[in-house]
Amino acid sequence: MAEVKYTFSELLVTGKTNPIKLIALEGILDESNADDFAPKVYEVIEQMPNETSVILDLEKLSYMNSKSIGYIADYYNKVTAKGGKIIIAKPARNVKETLCVVGLDQMIPFTQTLEEAKLQA
Amino acid sequence: MKEIKGSIKGANPVKINSDKDIEIKIEIPTKAYFMSGIRDFTLQMIKNMTDFSENWAYRFQSVVDELCNNAIEHGSNEDSYIKITFIAVPDKHIKIIVEDFGKKDNQISAKEIEAKILKSKNTPIKDLGLRGRGLAYIVSKWTDKLEIRDTENGGHIIEITKNLNDQTFQTLERSLEPNQIII
Repeated sequence: MAEVKYTFSELLVTGKTNPIKLIALEGILDESNADDFAPKVYEVIEQMPNETSVILDLEKLSYMNSKSIGYIADYYNKVTAKGGKIIIAKPARNVKETLCVVGLDQMIPFTQTLEEAKLQA
Repeated sequence: MKEIKGSIKGANPVKINSDKDIEIKIEIPTKAYFMSGIRDFTLQMIKNMTDFSENWAYRFQSVVDELCNNAIEHGSNEDSYIKITFIAVPDKHIKIIVEDFGKKDNQISAKEIEAKILKSKNTPIKDLGLRGRGLAYIVSKWTDKLEIRDTENGGHIIEITKNLNDQTFQTLERSLEPNQIII
């Protein structure tokens, strides 16, 4: 059975008024759990102040389906509407390929490290 | 007593290196719960039984997942099942066929599915919304042929073919190298 573990935390960055929201995912996001996970991220986005950036750390996520990617595109729209940025950090190769094949790399920057993501956020 | 260590492997995978085609048929209930098992099976089968690379095994895992999710969500009743057929032809191609048995309500035709795919392809990425990336992008871009047919019982058959020796391998391998990462 597919399982996704998530950690929501905040990163304090010098020069930034609002701490960056860090969402780290581990496991699998597929048709069986995507709809249950998404509202948790929507809640974070809704409650965060304007001009807050979000980093999605996908290092330990081993699979993602198209619906989960659709949700990321929607997070992007919501975060940017509030004046923030969204960055994808450290995606596993196969996950990165899937994100690229649907064109998400045209919307959202990918970084190879968390430090690079913090610089972009 | 002296410590003894060892390991025993099961039977070797059946590598397709003869003239014989391999055909595997699986039927699963229309529940997303079963898809993790189908993904694992697809990954191992492509890795162990064909000459496709590991990267392609992962891509096929996504292709099969998207085909099945589409069949379950848009082409099936809740208490039904879908049929998945893998056909590997040595040195030529792999074919994956997913069949659903239709919905009592909101029946959709093969032509309507094709129209939805085309609409998604023509929609800017940022305007796509939650759905529309599975068949239009993951399946279409990672396969050489995508055919959708209506069946007599009100369902659909979606058949994809990936040729083993074609130029898209090289192109795709290059295009997905880390230089595409935006930093």
